[in-house]
Amino acid sequence: MSYDLIAALMFGSMLVMMLTGQRMFGVIGFVAVIAAVFLWGDRGGYDLAFAQTIKVMNWYPLLTLPMFIFMGYIMSESRLADDLYRMFHVWFGPVPGGLAIGTILLMVLISAMNGLSVAGMAIGATIALPELLKRSYDKRMVTGVIQAGASLGILVPPSVVMVLYAMIARQPVGQLWLAGVLPGLLLALLFIVYIWLRCKFNPKLGPPISDEDRQSISQGEKYRLLLAGLMPLGIFAIMMVPFVMGYTRLVESSVIGALAATAVSVFKGRMSWRVLEVCSRNTLAISCMFLWIILAALAFGAVFDGLRAVDFVRGLFMDNLGLGRWEILILMQLSFILMGTFLDDTAMLVIVAPLYVPIVSMLEFNLIWYGVLYTITCQIAYMTPPFGYNLFLMRAMAPDDVTLSDIYRSIVPFVGVMILGLIIVMVFPQIALWLPETLYNR
Amino acid sequence: MPRFLIVYVRWVERLNYGVGRLAMYSLFALMGILLWGAIARAGWQPQIWTDEMAQFLLMGYFMLGGAYALQLGSAVRMDLLYSRWSDRTKAAVDAVTILMLVIYLGILLWGGIDSTLYALEYSERRRGLWRPYMAPIKIVMVIGILLMLLQCTAFFIRDIARLRKVEL
Repeated sequence: MSYDLIAALMFGSMLVMMLTGQRMFGVIGFVAVIAAVFLWGDRGGYDLAFAQTIKVMNWYPLLTLPMFIFMGYIMSESRLADDLYRMFHVWFGPVPGGLAIGTILLMVLISAMNGLSVAGMAIGATIALPELLKRSYDKRMVTGVIQAGASLGILVPPSVVMVLYAMIARQPVGQLWLAGVLPGLLLALLFIVYIWLRCKFNPKLGPPISDEDRQSISQGEKYRLLLAGLMPLGIFAIMMVPFVMGYTRLVESSVIGALAATAVSVFKGRMSWRVLEVCSRNTLAISCMFLWIILAALAFGAVFDGLRAVDFVRGLFMDNLGLGRWEILILMQLSFILMGTFLDDTAMLVIVAPLYVPIVSMLEFNLIWYGVLYTITCQIAYMTPPFGYNLFLMRAMAPDDVTLSDIYRSIVPFVGVMILGLIIVMVFPQIALWLPETLYNR
Repeated sequence: MPRFLIVYVRWVERLNYGVGRLAMYSLFALMGILLWGAIARAGWQPQIWTDEMAQFLLMGYFMLGGAYALQLGSAVRMDLLYSRWSDRTKAAVDAVTILMLVIYLGILLWGGIDSTLYALEYSERRRGLWRPYMAPIKIVMVIGILLMLLQCTAFFIRDIARLRKVEL
């Protein structure tokens, strides 16, 4: 059997077996070890799976993973974002669509304090969504706002997705994170412009808050709430400043961030044994889920490496189709988005990257820049049906009168905006690269 | 269901719960070690052991916590079809497909034991300044994989019980 055929067979059988609903990492790992033993059993093929655990252990930045997950849970479980939401509510309420705009800004701040989109989703669905619906915002718009905003969690540093990408692409995590800053803000800006335009032309979608509402808040209260906004900036600064200045390393900064968030919640009187228990238990559950998927996918990737599947994919793109480098890049992003719609997001992340990264580097594109494109594409995948973390979370957390079809429809314009953002970053790589190049070349 | 199977499931799950809780708390030890490393480097002199110790602890966290994480049901499944099935159908399908997980973990264990024996025989050490022995962490990883295998057998027995309309 030719290697190309084996690779295709592995990929196909993995997809089919995933449909049985068995745990994803089990299916991926199973296909990988069976192939390894079958191909190289006489030369230590059985060792391939375990070798990945050693590889993962030697990869130092992985230590940030549980830290940022813990930090995100502290944020959402101890309801640190309540005051933040009130702040945006008060300051942006009078503008048409202002509460939705405020929600996007809230999500940017939350994203700066955790590495996944889960915390943003939880905070958005429990705090922002009920308020927005109460003020008769259009439900189809607000569910989209929250999902799009929460997805910034993986683009704005710290970002767990970029940590995983960095491992696969062998790029420095710090530079990747800095590269995500401006594109993240760009996306947020695009969301805001979109919301503002929609609400300007159709005020029913997002009416300004009423005069009584506005008068019920005193000037003093208004300024006191502004202080609440300092909290996330403070946590972000305490975490990132020593790192950018070179006093601490990334991993140590992640510990400082987790401890700072914990300290703030203790200080605000929101910490309890129950909160600590829920946070540490969920951190273990999510971290282990990630690790086991990574281990299985690395084994899968190692077999694919041995089969030279990359050459096969490359040959398909370059020789058979005879495309230029930009055409290939665009085709890769399109196929990535397409796969993201039906594959599980985490699994896709770790299976697709090992296939695409070598091609990108062979085409002599910048891998830091590609990391940003990759992350934005992941954000889109998080939101597109039928599979998408954010979609599922939204369905689980939204009130009953928000139907699944509302949620599905709500994301369409935002996915459009994100694709626009993706194109802008593709055409102007400096949006991503300016910050890391400036800071690292001092 | 035979009595000894029920006792077996109870014991396996209790063991995994206990070990998993221990792993869960080790996250705080991990934070402490990393912080100590940073403080010592800034304050007096860099510690040679903190980085590697943290990496070992993290691996222990993942491996020993793995079975408990399985109990918590955190592993993602592709639920396109799965979510539409009845509990009985789910149990029936799971009872068969758990074999995939067992084979993966089994081969992982095989490689792990092999690698651990090598580490013991040749007193393998990690390169670097501190040069810690590799055998202890490999033994921990092997134990973690073994516990996950045990958890899979417990899942299997539970599924069979569910098919026979007994709830364990």
